[in-house]
Amino acid sequence: MTNYSRRDFIKIITNSLLSASGLLGLGGLLRYLNFSTETPVKTEFDLGLASDYPLGSRTLFPDIPAVLIHDDKGFSALSLVCSHLGCIVQDNNNGFICPCHGSYFDINGDVQRGPARHDLRLLRVENIEDNRLILFIT
Amino acid sequence: METSRRSIALASGLLLIILLGVWWLDTHHLQPSPLTPTLTGKTEYCLTCHSDLPEISASHPIEAFGCVVCHGGEGLALDAELAHSTIRGGNNPSDLAVVEQSCGGSECHSGDSADSRDHIQRVMTSIQATYAGAITNIRYSFGAQTDLVAQQGIFAISDEHITTTTGVPILSAFDPLAETSTALHQFADNCLSCHISAQPSHDHDDFARLTGCASCHTPDINTYPDGQIHRLTTAIPYTQCNTCHNRGNYDLRSMTFVERTDQPLDRKSDYYQPISQFTKCEWTLDCVDCHTRNESMGDGDIHSNQHDIQYVQCKTCHGTVDELPQTHTIVSEDDLALRMSFLNPVMDLQIGDTIIVTEQGEPLWNTRVLSDGTYEMIGKATGQQFNFSPVKDSLCQQNPTEQTSNYCHECHAEER
Repeated sequence: MTNYSRRDFIKIITNSLLSASGLLGLGGLLRYLNFSTETPVKTEFDLGLASDYPLGSRTLFPDIPAVLIHDDKGFSALSLVCSHLGCIVQDNNNGFICPCHGSYFDINGDVQRGPARHDLRLLRVENIEDNRLILFIT
Repeated sequence: METSRRSIALASGLLLIILLGVWWLDTHHLQPSPLTPTLTGKTEYCLTCHSDLPEISASHPIEAFGCVVCHGGEGLALDAELAHSTIRGGNNPSDLAVVEQSCGGSECHSGDSADSRDHIQRVMTSIQATYAGAITNIRYSFGAQTDLVAQQGIFAISDEHITTTTGVPILSAFDPLAETSTALHQFADNCLSCHISAQPSHDHDDFARLTGCASCHTPDINTYPDGQIHRLTTAIPYTQCNTCHNRGNYDLRSMTFVERTDQPLDRKSDYYQPISQFTKCEWTLDCVDCHTRNESMGDGDIHSNQHDIQYVQCKTCHGTVDELPQTHTIVSEDDLALRMSFLNPVMDLQIGDTIIVTEQGEPLWNTRVLSDGTYEMIGKATGQQFNFSPVKDSLCQQNPTEQTSNYCHECHAEER
């Protein structure tokens, strides 16, 4: 059994405590440097295979929020953010209605009733190489 | 040397204890709760402390508006004092002193008058805000002005676009110190709490209300537990109007307010102070069921008294012996009546429905003409259905030119 002197014992304890403190301090520093006050905004969404959305389909993505439209012209998408004050419009089969102030948009996103004065925003959809659809909300 | 090593070891231990203490505090501290409203796109942390507040209204969802756009404040701060350091209007951002910053904006409540979205401009010039009616009458009565055309209001305000025959272009601020009459000094001391910039003069529940927009649109503030008042509505019960109206009378000799002393136990007795007669519709309906938003919130002009702006009469809904009430058929999705009914959907109004409109064309969007020629009205605050018939072709023998309520009371008043 190794015999430690009193001096060695204090040295080991000191180094251990300093190492633990250093690790804690470093962890805190990294956390501080990595902290972001602004929640990162996701601007691209992988919608999966284009073949999952047959011709004539209208698919809602409430979390984005957007609606993917597949018609004769191909794929397109509308933002579900009301052009008035940013509430999320709801699909009512014949169009979209804003639950906040009642703005009404037809199925093409064209405003039919105010207070919104602008149509729903058209979003970009790209069909990439492996036949996957990417939706851009910027 | 040995002492020095021991000291370093002790200091290291102390440092570790402090760091562990900081770590423990951090993990047990309230965790920041970020929200990025779609309207502003700017993250705010107000929900870290205020997640227990109810949503203020369906028209102002937290996900779209957040808190800061209405309340101000430092949205990124986690310290309560710092977060509230730049808040607007204390607990009431709709106070008229800050309402333009809180509720204004062309897409919100200071928009285009043609689109009926100029709420703030109309309220600021309204009788309820200027208090010009009372000030004008008292100044006239005590010789401070020679006619009953308003010259002064609670605050100075002007109107460049007069649209009515009774509109006045400008009011200066009422200044009691510039008045020579003792009565006007007493009026200033005792009678300037009945406008929507002022706190109520009495401290009990019947008078309890906020100021600004919330004086009407945040009803029943005395019923909220712990003062957590967070509500806006267009379903305004008569009790909210009664926090200012029907609470008593002014005694012009002593220039004091004499509070009503009756102890009403039912709506019929509670609605008005016990000084007059009323027809059934005057106390079964709520004030907002008949009186339009232009009457209560103003039409954009500065007026000299309440009578210049209050125009709904019995014939508005009931017509006369010669004429049916004026109506309007909804033909467009963009009809103002549809927009207003959406905000308080007590009635499922549709394109093709015919509703009653006032003589000035304001929609009574809680009414509908029924297929048998009678009418229905749904109470905006109660949801109660009322059916009524026109005077025309009835047994009523009214004189069409007599439209004050007293005339109708001769036959239709109820005992109280």
